[in-house]
Amino acid sequence: MTPSNAQRTTNPSRRAAIAGLGLTDMGPVYGRSSASLAEEAVRRAAADAGLRLSEVDGLIVSNGVSGGVGLGLQRDLGLLDLRLLCEMQGFGSTAGSMVQYASMAVESGAAEVVACVFADAPLRPGRTAQDAYSRGGGGGRDASPPAGWGGLLAAAGVRGPNTMYALAARRHMERFGTTTEDLAAVAVAQRAWAAGNPLAQYRDPITVEDHHASRWIAEPFRKLDCCLVSNGGVAVIVTSAERAAALAHPPVHVLGWAQCHPGLSLDRNPDFGIVTGAARSGPAALSMAGVGLADVEVVELYDCYTFTVLVSLEDYGFCAKGEGGAFVSSGATAPGGSLKLNTGGGQLSAYYMWGMTPLSEAVIQVRGEGGDRQAHPHDLALVSGNGGVLDHHATLVLASGRP
Amino acid sequence: MTAVAGPGPVARNEDSAAFFDGTAAGRFLLRRCRPAGHWNRPQAVRCAQCDSPDLRPEPAAGTGRLVSWVVVHPRPGADDPPPPAVPAIVELDEGPWWWTMMVGADPAGLRAGLPVQVVFERPEGSEAVPVWTPVRGQPPT
Repeated sequence: MTPSNAQRTTNPSRRAAIAGLGLTDMGPVYGRSSASLAEEAVRRAAADAGLRLSEVDGLIVSNGVSGGVGLGLQRDLGLLDLRLLCEMQGFGSTAGSMVQYASMAVESGAAEVVACVFADAPLRPGRTAQDAYSRGGGGGRDASPPAGWGGLLAAAGVRGPNTMYALAARRHMERFGTTTEDLAAVAVAQRAWAAGNPLAQYRDPITVEDHHASRWIAEPFRKLDCCLVSNGGVAVIVTSAERAAALAHPPVHVLGWAQCHPGLSLDRNPDFGIVTGAARSGPAALSMAGVGLADVEVVELYDCYTFTVLVSLEDYGFCAKGEGGAFVSSGATAPGGSLKLNTGGGQLSAYYMWGMTPLSEAVIQVRGEGGDRQAHPHDLALVSGNGGVLDHHATLVLASGRP
Repeated sequence: MTAVAGPGPVARNEDSAAFFDGTAAGRFLLRRCRPAGHWNRPQAVRCAQCDSPDLRPEPAAGTGRLVSWVVVHPRPGADDPPPPAVPAIVELDEGPWWWTMMVGADPAGLRAGLPVQVVFERPEGSEAVPVWTPVRGQPPT
């Protein structure tokens, strides 16, 4: 059982809050290693919080596909005598989980000021975004065919996230009648939100027709169903609410957290493309926070594909199972709609920093620093990470105050 | 009708050798547990239903139903673009899912639940690869 906030035994002054947020430039930022982007993100997050870098006593690092962000970041930053240091990997769920573990460390007294950082630099000049993320089948230029069970998958073209997520989406479409117009509605709504985000890589409005005119990647996915690929780094500083209250920004309290990793076999998985682990991590995190779904004012969902948003909306309960398509096509998630969803444009339009994309936007929104895209009210945010192929889920509940 | 791509080549390794001996003989070997007769996918080392390690190879019927599929289109701009490929998931009539590809069918006619059957293709320099095609004369259900 997840403890509710009322049952948490931690002294309220030690409960965790996010006190700093650091973002580097995002997108085709060339000539920088992921390690140097991570270093800059941590420095910016500490400065944003109003902390000296030397006050950081915990560091959790995480990598994207390009690697290179490791424990050596401690020395790059000149951090001495850390009380907590590790590298984590939960793919798209990592950011939420990093904040969870950092919060647990702060609440237990294991560390006082924990920096959590993600950085990646897969883009290179002359290489497409798709190439940056494609996984080889093992054949390569030496012409020896891929072997064994993995080789059979590669031989059939079952490889890479585009194909795997498209298989999941197709199953949802066949089961519930979800349409390509529904997927388009997600892309169009998020681009409209991105227009208000100066950090977004793509801010020009798009229409359903633009979506339909974009080329097929892995049908039913078109190009505008797929996230961007970005170079960049994002860091947050987690500390105690008491300490955060004395720093530069109003604290963003970490009220609830939960993970779910269903682990169902690829052998037979009745939930594949139908229900994800968010259906469990969501209620658990809300219960810990002592709030209900109706209390949530800002929603930042992981959006590696349009479909991921749609199925996550159902799993969190913002609409009924199978009705995600109708929900997004109603305009409910576009600016001016009933649900303030992916308010910075998300990974589809703003920047692809894995779970740091929804987390960073939630911090900006709860602080009220969203400028043209600021949601009102914005005191309670739900943040969802999703990793693997709908395999790993981490949910956070963040708030401007404690209930 | 849109032509679709066949499978690429695959080599055997120690784990898959018995399976490819089967495909060479036109058989699709699953692994069945001796205590309860549960069917498992060919790479299983323990029964997914009863956890028994006592599994033996047994030919499957080679029929199933289409669960999901994707049409992977070639990059635009090529002078002589290859046909699209259709990675797919099939639920075998014995129960396990098989992650594979569809051949010999216009992707526009595919539906979840479509009855499908195995065919074995032999790309150059490859083991025989089991792929799937609609059962002739069967309307989707």
